[in-house]
Amino acid sequence: MDELRTTRLHAWHLENGANMARFGLYDMPLWYPAGAKAEHLAVIESAGVFDTSHMAVIGLQGEGARGLLQFCFTKDLDRCLGKEKSPLVAGRCVYGVFLQPDGTVIDDAIVYQLGGNDYMVVVNAGMGGIVAEHLDLHKGRASLTIIDYTDKLGKMDIQGPVAAKILEKVLRNGDEVLAGMVYFSCRGGCDGLQSPTAAALLDGTPILVSRTGYTGEFGFELFVAGENFVSLWQMVLAAGEDLGLLPCGLAARDSLRAGAVLPLSHQDIGPWLFANNPWQFALPWQEGERGFSKDFLGAAALLAATDGDHTLPFAGFDLRKITVGKDTFVTDLQGDTIGQVLTCATDMAIGRVGEMIVSAATPAAEGRPEDFKPRGLSCGFVKVRKPQAVGELVMLTDGKREIKVEIRQDIRPHRSARRPITAML
Amino acid sequence: MKELSELDFPETVRYTEDHEWAAVDGDTVRIGVSDYAQDQLGDIVYVEMPEVGDMFEKGDEFGTLESVKAVSELYLPMGGEVVAVNDALLETPESINQEPYGSWIIEIRPTDPAEYEELMNAEDYVDMLRG
Repeated sequence: MDELRTTRLHAWHLENGANMARFGLYDMPLWYPAGAKAEHLAVIESAGVFDTSHMAVIGLQGEGARGLLQFCFTKDLDRCLGKEKSPLVAGRCVYGVFLQPDGTVIDDAIVYQLGGNDYMVVVNAGMGGIVAEHLDLHKGRASLTIIDYTDKLGKMDIQGPVAAKILEKVLRNGDEVLAGMVYFSCRGGCDGLQSPTAAALLDGTPILVSRTGYTGEFGFELFVAGENFVSLWQMVLAAGEDLGLLPCGLAARDSLRAGAVLPLSHQDIGPWLFANNPWQFALPWQEGERGFSKDFLGAAALLAATDGDHTLPFAGFDLRKITVGKDTFVTDLQGDTIGQVLTCATDMAIGRVGEMIVSAATPAAEGRPEDFKPRGLSCGFVKVRKPQAVGELVMLTDGKREIKVEIRQDIRPHRSARRPITAML
Repeated sequence: MKELSELDFPETVRYTEDHEWAAVDGDTVRIGVSDYAQDQLGDIVYVEMPEVGDMFEKGDEFGTLESVKAVSELYLPMGGEVVAVNDALLETPESINQEPYGSWIIEIRPTDPAEYEELMNAEDYVDMLRG
């Protein structure tokens, strides 16, 4: 086994009582003394901050950068922003995946355009070198430089409805920097990765602020040079102290993203065909889903595929889950195996009220009873051989425990990720 | 994660390798999980318990603890008949995190009270945890 890597906050995590575990190649906090449930709820009701420095950043600079990304990345960078499908421009970013020629997934990523020929790619832990190599392999004669920033930057995510109020306090002219900042946009820069708009901390430290995240809730991902990371973490915690901010570990991150129907790379998407899943928005489908608006690596394999497994979100009827392992299966109500379980977590902020799933954040006018106390619901993704309609009931089993779950379109309602920033400051 | 020195291992109960504790109370024995177990599991969000009257052998699975991290089986330190289950845990499973030794899960009438003596005392249990 490779040597366990750590982030710059490792000592802080240990000193602050984090329960640690190996995630990818890194020793990461699962939760802090407040516990994963409190951390999950903090992100729904106030805010949480996550050390995500294990994720990797790749820089692409040069005339050939956009063309290479157009070939290797699934999103059509010339038709991707908003309802109008306008081209990606400096200061904006998009979500997509990198595929092998056979249509299977290498990793998912957010691609940022920072300047004219200047791009940044954020991939998962341990994937910086692999994706950089993949890009290099396909660059041909294109003129560009590919830089793997793995372990050079610090990254943290502030997520939750008060995230902007906290961030505003640690930024120089915070109100100006954040004003008008739309979902999937970025400001500032660090370590040679510079967007068109300036942003800095109160002491002048350069920072790249991205209005993105992995919880389904309103918030930001922050990038700084490695040496500034620990002090930024402490600054953010101090700024959020009276706003209900909690440091959060990977357990809350996993339960939040599962409820938000976001995939975990190499678990929900991976070395199998990127088809028949809830994340088709990562592909450049033309209207009617008959073809793609550009050619890219893996496109032909996806278009040629006529059959294959279907990945579907589910939610249970109480908080009981099963531990996913090699002996866990999805069966129909008759007990016949129909597929496998990819993710099973408990979203602690939701519960069922009659036919509806209600969140702690659901407005009373939209069905949250006054005395609603979320008990939590199991949720996640199954991969089944035949399509299942929304509302269909299936069983998850680990050989001992069996839980009944419902195939869903969506899981946690009333998520805050897309709210206009004016409503959050 | 807490250091072993920060965890509580009272000498008034006995322990198993699976991190349950047993405490004699007259002619019955109460069963719970140790401070080490609750710290490892994290937030306990659900407890599945047997029915009063169920009979178990030593080592049988008698229920599950569901934490944010995983679903864990509970194993009986001694054989016997379930005479009570702690229904309060259905509403407040987190009390196992807060008071692992106050939060008994089931109470049994042991088939063989001498099995209690075979369980680890606090010192042996801590030695086992230290490896």
